[in-house]
Amino acid sequence: MTELLTLTTLSGILVAAASGFVGSLLTLRKMTLLSDALSHVALPGIAIGVVFHFTPLLGGVALLFLGVVLIWYIEMRTKLAIESITGVLFVTALSAGALLIPEQDLLEAFFGNVQNITHAQAIAQAVISIGIITTALYLLKPLALSSIAPDLATSSRISQSRMEFLLLILIAFTISVGISFVGVLLMSALLIIPAVTAKNIAGSFKGFISLSVVLAVAALLSGLIISRMYPVNPSFAIALVSSAIFFISLIIKKPAR
Amino acid sequence: METTEYLVKVEDLSVTLGDNVIFKNVSFELEKERVLAIIGPNGAGKSVLLKTLLGIIKPTSGTITWAPNIRIGYLPQRFHVDFYLPMTVSEFLDLKPTREMTNEEALKLVKVDASWLTRKLAHLSSGQLQRVLLAWSLLDNPQILLFDEPTENVDVVGQESIYTLLHHLQDSTGVSLIIISHDLHAVYRYANHVLCLNQTTTCYGEPEAELTVEKLSTLYKDQTFFHHNHEGIEHLEHEHIHQGKE
Repeated sequence: MTELLTLTTLSGILVAAASGFVGSLLTLRKMTLLSDALSHVALPGIAIGVVFHFTPLLGGVALLFLGVVLIWYIEMRTKLAIESITGVLFVTALSAGALLIPEQDLLEAFFGNVQNITHAQAIAQAVISIGIITTALYLLKPLALSSIAPDLATSSRISQSRMEFLLLILIAFTISVGISFVGVLLMSALLIIPAVTAKNIAGSFKGFISLSVVLAVAALLSGLIISRMYPVNPSFAIALVSSAIFFISLIIKKPAR
Repeated sequence: METTEYLVKVEDLSVTLGDNVIFKNVSFELEKERVLAIIGPNGAGKSVLLKTLLGIIKPTSGTITWAPNIRIGYLPQRFHVDFYLPMTVSEFLDLKPTREMTNEEALKLVKVDASWLTRKLAHLSSGQLQRVLLAWSLLDNPQILLFDEPTENVDVVGQESIYTLLHHLQDSTGVSLIIISHDLHAVYRYANHVLCLNQTTTCYGEPEAELTVEKLSTLYKDQTFFHHNHEGIEHLEHEHIHQGKE
């Protein structure tokens, strides 16, 4: 029991670090709403997993990738804003998922369930998170450049659509490892809020990314500790700690001129 | 040593976006160490032409032939920096994928103090940002620079000095330039060739021969007015019409 708890916690730290990192890249590209909506796309997959008795997470991952490819493809073909396409997919997936999932499992899919994380799952999540962090570190410069200065990136022969696809894949992996901790509805607690808080206070790019990672890890750890001490669902605790840090940062940071 | 005479040769280039013909049948060529100015009214397709040369926009027809292995620098017209972007000048310059000099050396070329490296990108004025962008484009020691001059929001001092700076760079490094310019004085002074663009090419040649009152009034139509400056030379100036979109 305690061994599993330690493993889950370590896995959680890596998951949160990956979320904070990918989240900071999303914030640069103004794709925050997209990631939030995308997390709901996992729901029908989780539903299929529950109904057919295989690991719900696998179904979720499969659906996420389908969603990413679909979003990317529709955007290439239609020039519709990526967030509009996601809006459509998100409502479709959320309602289809809620319809399919047995009611007693719905809450778990929505808000995650740390207690149910198995040994194998914790290890898989840790390994995937390390993969996410390594990829993002390796491609940090082209990813950042294509987000803040698309024209300069293209003129430096960095493909916009390739970078966009890569980022979507990173988001999909991050969501897939994060949902067992915070669920599909509260994924933003790890992916968006730490990044936005960091952006608000950081003075440099390096500081921004590091702070986003640190804040995501801090939110996850304090959420887990609080849920051990009080009868609170860990995902609510994680989300509330994360947003509390955000509001504190607003007070600390002097308003812009 | 060189197999091609031209750095870039453009033949019969046309771009149509959706149903709109942006420009058609544009041809020109640029040799080493030369300056080509592209002039024309707002919405004439000048920025699109530069982006097409860079491969950001795909041409509908026609060909663009660059000299082999050419290094191209680009200064976009608009470079909007999110006010909350946490990035220093040094971190921005570090994003350059290929480089032949250090950040300090590039800043020195654009006559900016190395202390700028620690400043936040979002806190620079538009003129200062333009200098940093110029430094960015010089990092890989380009043979040609494509400069899309902003129509608005650049502090006047910055705007005056960017021409002096480009001229100085051209003298010292021999870099070729393609400039979209709104400043006909600068075109007279610095350009070897001028291309008038308004959906199609209405003039192409040396500024002295091409920048006649007749040709310019055909080009700009009602967007311009004439007046005499202190030396009594007749020249044109455009009204500062807000350019709504790129």
